[in-house]
Amino acid sequence: MDLNETYLDGAHESGSRSASNIDEDKSRKLSINNRTTASVPTTSLSLNQTIFQTSISPSNSTIFNPIATRQYEGPNITMDSTNVSYIGSMKSFSNLRHSSTQRPDSQFLDEPTREDGIEDDVLGGLNNEAFDEESLRDKLSESIYSYDGTPTIRTRLRSLVSNEIPSIFKENDLESMQLGRNSDLKSYDKNFFIFTSAGKPIYSMDGDDQQLTSCMGIIHTIMNYFQLATFSDIKSISSMVSGQRVTFLDRSPIILVGYSTRGETHHELIKQLDVLHSYILSSLSERQLSRLFAKRDNFDLRNFLEVTDFENLDEICHLLSDRLYPDLPFNALQCLPMSYSTRTKIHETMLAELSINKTKTDGKELLPRGTLLYGLIISPNNKLCSIMRPKGHTLHTTDLQLLFSLIWNQFQNVNETQEMWAPVCFPKFNPNGFLYCYIKFLKSEPIDKKITSRCRKPALVLISAQKDAFFPLKQFSNNLIDVLRRKGDKSLLREICTPGGFTISEVGAPLIHHFIYKSKKHVQYTMPELNINFEIPDLETELLKYEKKMKNYYQELHNSIFDNDGNSFNASILNFVNWYDTSLEDAEFDGFLKKEPVKVMGLAWLTPKFELYLVCNNGVSDKEKILKSAKKIVSWCKRHQSRLFIQDGAVF
Amino acid sequence: MLQFKLVLLGDSSVGKSSIVHRFVKDSFDELRESTIGAAFLAQTIKIKDTETQEDIDIKFEIWDTAGQERYKSLAPMYYRNANAALVVYDLTQKNSLSKAMSWVDELKSKVGDEDLVIYLVGNKLDLCDNVENRGGKEQEEEENKRVVTTQEADSYAKDQGLLFAEISAKTGQGVKEVFQTIGEKLYEIKKPELLAKKNREYGRNSSEAVDINIQRPNTNDPTSCCS
Repeated sequence: MDLNETYLDGAHESGSRSASNIDEDKSRKLSINNRTTASVPTTSLSLNQTIFQTSISPSNSTIFNPIATRQYEGPNITMDSTNVSYIGSMKSFSNLRHSSTQRPDSQFLDEPTREDGIEDDVLGGLNNEAFDEESLRDKLSESIYSYDGTPTIRTRLRSLVSNEIPSIFKENDLESMQLGRNSDLKSYDKNFFIFTSAGKPIYSMDGDDQQLTSCMGIIHTIMNYFQLATFSDIKSISSMVSGQRVTFLDRSPIILVGYSTRGETHHELIKQLDVLHSYILSSLSERQLSRLFAKRDNFDLRNFLEVTDFENLDEICHLLSDRLYPDLPFNALQCLPMSYSTRTKIHETMLAELSINKTKTDGKELLPRGTLLYGLIISPNNKLCSIMRPKGHTLHTTDLQLLFSLIWNQFQNVNETQEMWAPVCFPKFNPNGFLYCYIKFLKSEPIDKKITSRCRKPALVLISAQKDAFFPLKQFSNNLIDVLRRKGDKSLLREICTPGGFTISEVGAPLIHHFIYKSKKHVQYTMPELNINFEIPDLETELLKYEKKMKNYYQELHNSIFDNDGNSFNASILNFVNWYDTSLEDAEFDGFLKKEPVKVMGLAWLTPKFELYLVCNNGVSDKEKILKSAKKIVSWCKRHQSRLFIQDGAVF
Repeated sequence: MLQFKLVLLGDSSVGKSSIVHRFVKDSFDELRESTIGAAFLAQTIKIKDTETQEDIDIKFEIWDTAGQERYKSLAPMYYRNANAALVVYDLTQKNSLSKAMSWVDELKSKVGDEDLVIYLVGNKLDLCDNVENRGGKEQEEEENKRVVTTQEADSYAKDQGLLFAEISAKTGQGVKEVFQTIGEKLYEIKKPELLAKKNREYGRNSSEAVDINIQRPNTNDPTSCCS
């Protein structure tokens, strides 16, 4: 346990100083949350959170501390997860432990986990008939082990103990969204509008033209009124009563408006609007945009944008509102976990190829200096794998996020035989000019079908400022891919094309359902693969529901330590958030089944070096144990940081 | 192996990418995102030398460009060194033909190469008369979405000295033939040059007299298969 105690101390100090401040904010938040769920009469929600103020030495805590005995008072059957008997779940649990400890790839199991002791105890308890039932229940509840979600070829038993995270947020399911297509704008719980400074509609996430015109008229009037009356721009309107928020972003000649009832802060909505604005710039560039509006300020931009642009905006809106997309709220990128030596080899290969291609062959440089600006390898699932960059230059995360979503949305039909040459404006790099992207998709390795549905093809992207650099870059790419294919024990190319990732059980943090860890130094985050059963029918819908749920949890966790303007309450914060659904506590027995009570705890931990957000399994409420697991996660991430994050990339 | 550069031009959503996809992969996607910038592909075909009957491999390097107006400034880069251009219009969209005509004008004025082969192609034949498209005598009125008649495009193509065909990327009708014809035409144009080169090398190597038996002009009409 190599936990840096200074963080705790920092949290201690800062927590006490700002506690009242946060509490005030939370009480407001609490009321909002109560209201957002108010339309679901059976669910009332209370949000209880505490600032962690005392430092706890992890060695003091006992492992077998009963924490969830309450769960086993009734018949031990839970409805929405599994219908199994007590002993049945125990057996499967021990099987699971066995299979996961005997995994052949023991790279991450070099640390002897303390849970092994529990396993022995549990098994011993099973063999010995005269076990103390009470303590066994406690042990079991303690050791509810997060399910290893990887669908591997090796068959692995799923834990039959419930590890599903209930949703305590207002369900806005697909059917009601589809119904909403015909209804009026009020029925959407989130919407984005884009229009010109002259008030002409450009785009809206939902709603038809007729509704928009009047709505945009009102918005336009309000904005103009504020400019005239107060000589300043209106930023945001929010209603505490209904939990609605309307946020305005004036990027003349374009105005963006975000509407949400989902509890996002002003800062979050502004960031989302900025992405939409950046997308428009990436497609047109600032210069072209202002040229269009310089001629006529009532120019209708819709005639200039293409169907593709609207489709891409739709995709981006969907990503921002419905998917688990930590890239934006956490201002970071996710990269492909890969062994340090492999990644170094890839970077070395890139540099070697670059210098070979720079040397003159028959008096002609293939790749003159300045031709290549950046090079990226994007692995399946849109994780960054490797990066080539000039010394002292990095690309802004927003620019990369836009590039990724372009590759993700736009080129799904493109296969390996095609090479793309696409002009893209990187608004944070230079909003006035285009860069040219050479994009080549790599053949992904045949993998398990279940995963492929979620995987996109890996791609090599070479970025240049010269529009006629296609052929030199094509040559360079061919050489590079060729070398990558030949090099390495398993072929480096193969490693790139294998969708990597880790599961929560590899980390060995008991009771934790899922987490996001951001390393501030690397501007990258990492998280375990989604904890969902891939064998369920209708995976797409279920996955969407699951992602939305997790998105909500993380959003609330994040907002519990950041204020409305996106500043953290302190440099170091450790904050527990507790969600529970009291309506089920005294629920009637439905025949002979009782619904699992909802009691979810999360932790947001902010330090100058990292940010950690985690969501625990349902029913876990022991803060000491959660903190201990959190520390395990932090030390695991630190230990594996060379594998989880790209350190420098190939710098030329 | 001979290599030729080929570029596809035309208004957006006339089916340029679908034609290339049909040619390279022999398949068709109902849903296809519009192209951003341009896509580069290569495909090899075989043609027969009309005299010697030997097989010749021809490799096409294809630039499938985006039809959208905003990428127009990039177009010269793609057609600058092209040997052949496929100018595509949509049989069901009137103004796509005028757009195609302006592409033809641009090619003729900007590309120096006298030998540039321009092929005018009307796509989406599957949406038009299912009868062999000859003058519209037997057209069935209700099923027909055609707005550009064969004569109209054909006479324009003849005026401008272009090759012309109506095809369908969806059913594949006529697609192979278009590329085959381009291959043959280009081979025919380049053959004297190739022979001369060969003979020069031959002459260098063995100081013998140069073979003056140049092939006689090819009388095959390359447009015959489609129009």
